[in-house]
Amino acid sequence: MRASWAPAAWARDVTGTRDGRMQLTVLGGFLGSGKTTWLRHQLHDGNFQDAFVVVNEAAATPVDDALLTRSTDLAVLAGGCACCEARGELVALLRRICDERSGKDSRGQRLQRIVLETSGLADPGPIVEAIRTDPILVHHILVSEIVVTVDALHALAQLRSEPLGRRQIEIADRLIVTKLDEADPAALARLLATLHCLNPGASFSGAIKGSDAELPLYDNAEPEALADLSDEVANPPIFATALAIDPTVDWPAFSVWLSALLHARGDDVVRVKGVMRTPAGRLLLQSVRKVVQSPEVLPAQSADTAYQDESIVFIGRGYRAEDLRRSLRYFASAGRT
Amino acid sequence: MCSSCGFPAAPGHWTDAGAVTGPDKLRARFRRAQVLQAVLPAYGLSAHDGGLIPGIQISTGSGGETIVPDLSAVWVLAEKLTGRPIDPLDARFLGAGGVGS
Repeated sequence: MRASWAPAAWARDVTGTRDGRMQLTVLGGFLGSGKTTWLRHQLHDGNFQDAFVVVNEAAATPVDDALLTRSTDLAVLAGGCACCEARGELVALLRRICDERSGKDSRGQRLQRIVLETSGLADPGPIVEAIRTDPILVHHILVSEIVVTVDALHALAQLRSEPLGRRQIEIADRLIVTKLDEADPAALARLLATLHCLNPGASFSGAIKGSDAELPLYDNAEPEALADLSDEVANPPIFATALAIDPTVDWPAFSVWLSALLHARGDDVVRVKGVMRTPAGRLLLQSVRKVVQSPEVLPAQSADTAYQDESIVFIGRGYRAEDLRRSLRYFASAGRT
Repeated sequence: MCSSCGFPAAPGHWTDAGAVTGPDKLRARFRRAQVLQAVLPAYGLSAHDGGLIPGIQISTGSGGETIVPDLSAVWVLAEKLTGRPIDPLDARFLGAGGVGS
């Protein structure tokens, strides 16, 4: 069996729908599964051209918008998940976009497409339902595709324990399996077979650092026998913490602390992201569980992004936010008199 | 990150990304060893980095010495030697003032 790859709907038709409604692509996927990396590469390649990009982040301090500089129109919904507490804000934002579009006389000037990148904690289902049932949005927006990224390294572990991870995959029209180059071939084949069981109707494709990549065959792979999670005691909820990084926190102390934290607590600290100022420049720091991506060296900051260097976002469970602060303070002051 | 759509990634282990010039690298190594030296003794281990040879030297109370290439390897070795991971969220690291303050 080979996963099918077909040009996506947006590649075939970039002119909106026949009835004049805008097409909305929902881009979802679990924490750290590569949503922003994939979208960034699509924008670089000229896909989603002229789309309005909406980025939703669960943490109050947004980071992903700094990476999507190729998008000319971008809005950030930070500090809550668009599928639950920030759903009202999302609907209000989409209504404003529709209002502005309605004011344009020429069809050529009108916005034809919106891309919504959800937070990694969002279930796309309630988002789509909110748009389809809103009395205004339903006349202006057509949800054309739900794209969900799947982390080839961590997805099997997530599927075993996270009901949210399963819901995200089950609702997708298209699954993009990311980080193909980092995954063990046997585990990857098992993951693909499992995804096929969870959502046989979805189309599959692969990606490496945002670029399209061919998926391997998985004819002989056995799918994971996923346990029913409905009867289990629910995991404590995942929450986001923005940790202030003041000038007394130096990079060497921070790197000692974070490397130890991820080694000991990498299964609880699901995601870390943020920008850190160092003698080598501004570093974009990102981790998924115990795996830390090589930091990207960001260009010098502009005034409107200065706020991003003041905190690092931690998303996870099983610890207290205050303990993160106290522990970092301890390490940062180590050896100082 | 992709070389065409992303920003350049710092080479080497991620914990070494904060210093590029020779003096910065040396300062970072000394500071890193200083922090490790404040953390490891509670577990019967000590750290040393003289800046002359690559790596971080980890010593046990019985005199055993191992040089590891980076911080991730420090924590793997420490867990192997002590039988449990060194957890920054352990109560001993949650004091208000910090070591040496």
